[in-house]
Amino acid sequence: MMGNLFSNLITIGIIAISMLIFSTFTLLAFNLTNFLKIWEDKIEVIAYLKRGTPSSEVEPLLKKTRLLEGVETVRYVSPYDAMGFMETKLGGQKNLLEGIQPAVLPPSFEIQMKKDYRNSTKIKEVVAHLKEIPQFEEIQYGQEWVETFSVLVHILRLTQWILGGLLLIAVVFITSNTLQLTISSRREEIEVMHWVGTSPSFIRIPFYLEGLIQGFLGGGLAILFLFLLHQGLFLYIPPSMQAWLAKIPVLFLPLETIAWILLGGMVLGFFGSFVASMRVLKYK
Amino acid sequence: MNEAMIEMHHVFKTYPSQISALSDITLEILPGEFAFIVGPSGSGKSTLLRILFCAERPTSGEVVVHGIHITQPDFKKIYQLRRTMGIVSQDFKLLRDRTVNENVAFALEITGHIREEAKSKASEILRRVGLEEREGDSILALSAGEQQRVAIARALVNSPPLLLADEPTGNLDARMTLDVMEIFTDLHQKGTTIVFATQFTGLIKRYSYRAIRLLDGRKADSHKVEEVKATG
Repeated sequence: MMGNLFSNLITIGIIAISMLIFSTFTLLAFNLTNFLKIWEDKIEVIAYLKRGTPSSEVEPLLKKTRLLEGVETVRYVSPYDAMGFMETKLGGQKNLLEGIQPAVLPPSFEIQMKKDYRNSTKIKEVVAHLKEIPQFEEIQYGQEWVETFSVLVHILRLTQWILGGLLLIAVVFITSNTLQLTISSRREEIEVMHWVGTSPSFIRIPFYLEGLIQGFLGGGLAILFLFLLHQGLFLYIPPSMQAWLAKIPVLFLPLETIAWILLGGMVLGFFGSFVASMRVLKYK
Repeated sequence: MNEAMIEMHHVFKTYPSQISALSDITLEILPGEFAFIVGPSGSGKSTLLRILFCAERPTSGEVVVHGIHITQPDFKKIYQLRRTMGIVSQDFKLLRDRTVNENVAFALEITGHIREEAKSKASEILRRVGLEEREGDSILALSAGEQQRVAIARALVNSPPLLLADEPTGNLDARMTLDVMEIFTDLHQKGTTIVFATQFTGLIKRYSYRAIRLLDGRKADSHKVEEVKATG
């Protein structure tokens, strides 16, 4: 490996850049998925009751709603509760509400979903059931947000894998070509090996190892650069955004994903050397 | 009767460019025999040897070496066959960045021998070819004749029963040629089967071994030395 330091460094560098691009998309997708999860955890459905719904119907309706599949908790919010909530939210500006009667605010149910139901598909199912109940006038939930965000994450994941596939082909091509150069530079030695009857595996294994090491180092460098970029992100963002980010943590890749990326690099390196050895290490 | 070391039956070799290198070659070489393959440049000598060590496959025909049918499509273990033969060529094929001893020991190390054992055995073989004084020297410091002797030592170090030599004296002057031939004669006397391809008829006149003559890929004749001398 040392004998062809320059070509090896080039290969490692190219693997590192390719893996860095792939890892960056993985990191973005990971964080957006994480953000989506946090957001979904907080998601709740608000069902507004029709004005004039008799209070005697509230309790049976609560029971009925609680029995719906996917519903975890249901809380009744009376017009007075709603007014109190608005006053709290407005704080020092609550005088804006002067003259407004609580009766203008519709009573509502705040519905918390079970964990498995906190996604756009499942919520839609529950909302469909709620819409069948005639006492509800309107049902609100962060539908658009959930759907847009889900689509965004989906596109990102798709891009990640398409890009990953293209990079995979490029890396295999580059690694195999660099290894062909290495093999060519040892042509005489390999020819002698063939002449004296060295087993094919004995000749090939060092090249496979070289590919594995190149892949591992390339993957490792990619992770290192990504980590530095991730850390650097926090150094250059304004303090106001840092406070915002405190609520939505920007995480680094979990160890398991890092291990997969390293393994991926090694597999690519190995595959590149395998292709090269198939091309130029035929027993002659 | 001894089973033949090498058998070729109706062997043809035609390259994709339709050049016929070998045409209907049938021959037998017995264990312990020294056989010259003689013919002018382009007569098919090298192709014949390359087929014997599986560097090429014949277009048709059957080849048996050490009782192994090497032309059968399922024959894959070329490396195992090569361990039973030594190969020497005109261009030596030595590793220029290694010493004399390292070049010979290399053949042992890559077939599983430990380094010390390989070096010691390499020294023993180098003594046999008269290079004990040059063991530590770089290959580049040797004359062509000495380099050929290193190549022969490397071919012999695994004690193969069969030695295939393709124009081993092609690059040597008369004095060096005689030195190298002395080694081959000695090996033959010790029981090694030798197939020696050459275009120099002078050699076959000097040594009384069987000569298989090739001309344009065909076997012209097979003579004992007396017959060759008679035909000139």
